Amino acid sequence: MIPLDEQQVTEANGPLGKERTLPALHPDRKEERCFVPYKPPSEDSSPAEVEEFLEHGLFITEDLDWLLNLPHDKFWCQVVFDESLQKCLDSYLIHAPRGLDPSYLPSSPAVADMQRSIHRAVFMTFLRMATHKESKESFITPSVFGEIIYNNFLFDIPKILDLCVLFGKGNSQLLHKMIENIFTQQPCYYGDLDEAVPSILQVLDTILAKCGLQCEGATAFEPLKLSSHGRPSAMTMSQQELVDLVLYLCDSCSTIHAFLDIFPAACSTFHSHRFLNRLVSFYEMAVPDLEKAVRKRNFDDKSLQEDLWRRVCHTRRRMVESAHLVLQHTCLQPILEGSENTPTFVEELLQHFTTFLPEKRFLADYDEQFPVADDVSLLQQAFPLIDETRTTYLLQGVADAWDSVGRRRPQCRPQHAHSPG
Amino acid sequence: MSPPRLTGALRSFSTVSKQEDFTDQVYDLKSKRLKRQQLFSKDSLTWQKIVQFITQHLDKAEQEVATQDLKHVLLAAKQIVGAEQGQDTIESAAVFLFETFHNKDHVGHDETRAIKQMFGPFPSSAADHSCAAVSRAVASVGESLVEDFVRSQSSCRTPQRSTTFGRNITFSYECYALDPQEALPWAESSEKETSGGGLDF
Repeated sequence: MIPLDEQQVTEANGPLGKERTLPALHPDRKEERCFVPYKPPSEDSSPAEVEEFLEHGLFITEDLDWLLNLPHDKFWCQVVFDESLQKCLDSYLIHAPRGLDPSYLPSSPAVADMQRSIHRAVFMTFLRMATHKESKESFITPSVFGEIIYNNFLFDIPKILDLCVLFGKGNSQLLHKMIENIFTQQPCYYGDLDEAVPSILQVLDTILAKCGLQCEGATAFEPLKLSSHGRPSAMTMSQQELVDLVLYLCDSCSTIHAFLDIFPAACSTFHSHRFLNRLVSFYEMAVPDLEKAVRKRNFDDKSLQEDLWRRVCHTRRRMVESAHLVLQHTCLQPILEGSENTPTFVEELLQHFTTFLPEKRFLADYDEQFPVADDVSLLQQAFPLIDETRTTYLLQGVADAWDSVGRRRPQCRPQHAHSPG
Repeated sequence: MSPPRLTGALRSFSTVSKQEDFTDQVYDLKSKRLKRQQLFSKDSLTWQKIVQFITQHLDKAEQEVATQDLKHVLLAAKQIVGAEQGQDTIESAAVFLFETFHNKDHVGHDETRAIKQMFGPFPSSAADHSCAAVSRAVASVGESLVEDFVRSQSSCRTPQRSTTFGRNITFSYECYALDPQEALPWAESSEKETSGGGLDF
């Protein structure tokens, strides 16, 4: 069998109607379909706007169904050479309503049905685009597939993150396979991820700056000026700014968590950028401030205040879970799998927990969800040579963190199994 | 407008995604409709085939009546696409109307939407007239004969579900959502001031 990238086809649609032979993957084999971009339904749509959404939606589903029905070679010609298709798919990833959006619920059953149809068709299109071998007969040379998807931006890091947060809840296994295949066939994506992580971390810095917790250009070692008047804070910024900030943080942390959860191989890239330290110090600085602002500010709309509170709590949880995912996949799992570098991983894990000790709010919240004592116990079993004085000091530090934040540890602790994979 | 998103910031401030080219064409509903009309006109079913099919199944006396009905369909098509359009466009629209109404006795919501989807806003009287004319023509030949004819002619356009990618893949519509309120940890204690943070400026 010949891979698609080496196939030639003879078609009778040359300039003078003559037969001509051309590569199976060729722009002339693309059809002019004119995919329309996706526009989300607005919250309080007029009947005319609903009608327009439905019409747009029908065009999109009709075209994507047509695309998914194309034979392998025609599908790839369309995907690679049809700009309008890529714009349509991009627009969905960017604008599709997400479960976490404030105005997520569709305005009518017809809109909901259409939204579901588009949702599925878009996912199936990305799934097909992430598949280099559909059958024994229909396949692309893996290295060429890697070049095609990368050079044509069929997938990029923001798109992969969007896919995770849009489709990951119920399709995590499929998404894991898709993303794993993309990164395996095109390792350049690891490089892109490496480039993207600083921008992701910059989002945390931006939020801190907006809360007045980190002046622009200030480093962790520079003290903040006490006399700087007019410095923004979560308490003094406008209500809309606070809402946007909480929404942004909620989306950011949910997206990072969804991605790390679905594609744990990315944890090491995040780890190499000191993600844990940055996240934990961000948590310690921003969470109390945002909580205070949401609780203490005067909201005319109490439901908005409740929504913001839920978002802050949700965000906290995702941050703690993201930290745990990184620890699990970069340190704990290699230890449990009996890696030959176990002493190094044990040391690294203990170092991390030690670094967490001054971050008392984070440590207490982390310990509530993922008891540090359980991990220490696992370490002791996997690596009996562990320094007991150190673990005792660590566990005492965790207990102190609970005291410092004025909370009592729950008696009944949740059980978290650390299983490989 | 979409709420602020992490991936929006990444697209704007990182170098890992394609930079948007604003000169690229984005298709709106109007240009999409035109494209659909073009694609439809390439279909194997033509107005000539419909006229030929109807007339060959009728005797001379019936042919005259049916020809008048088909002329009414053409006229309605002209009203819908606009008189300034060429004969090919009008005939293609007439084929669409014939296909839409060959098994309908009135203009329902789905038919209205289908016509609007193809041609944009249109006079409803044109749809009513064409529906009535198609119904009369179909009745004179026989519904099942026309049904078989239309199906055989348009089968190449209808996607075959059996070959659609993903037809056997289980897809979940479940979405990430905010954690339920009652399941939140720390909610009680959050009511108290945190004493250890030292960040309450």
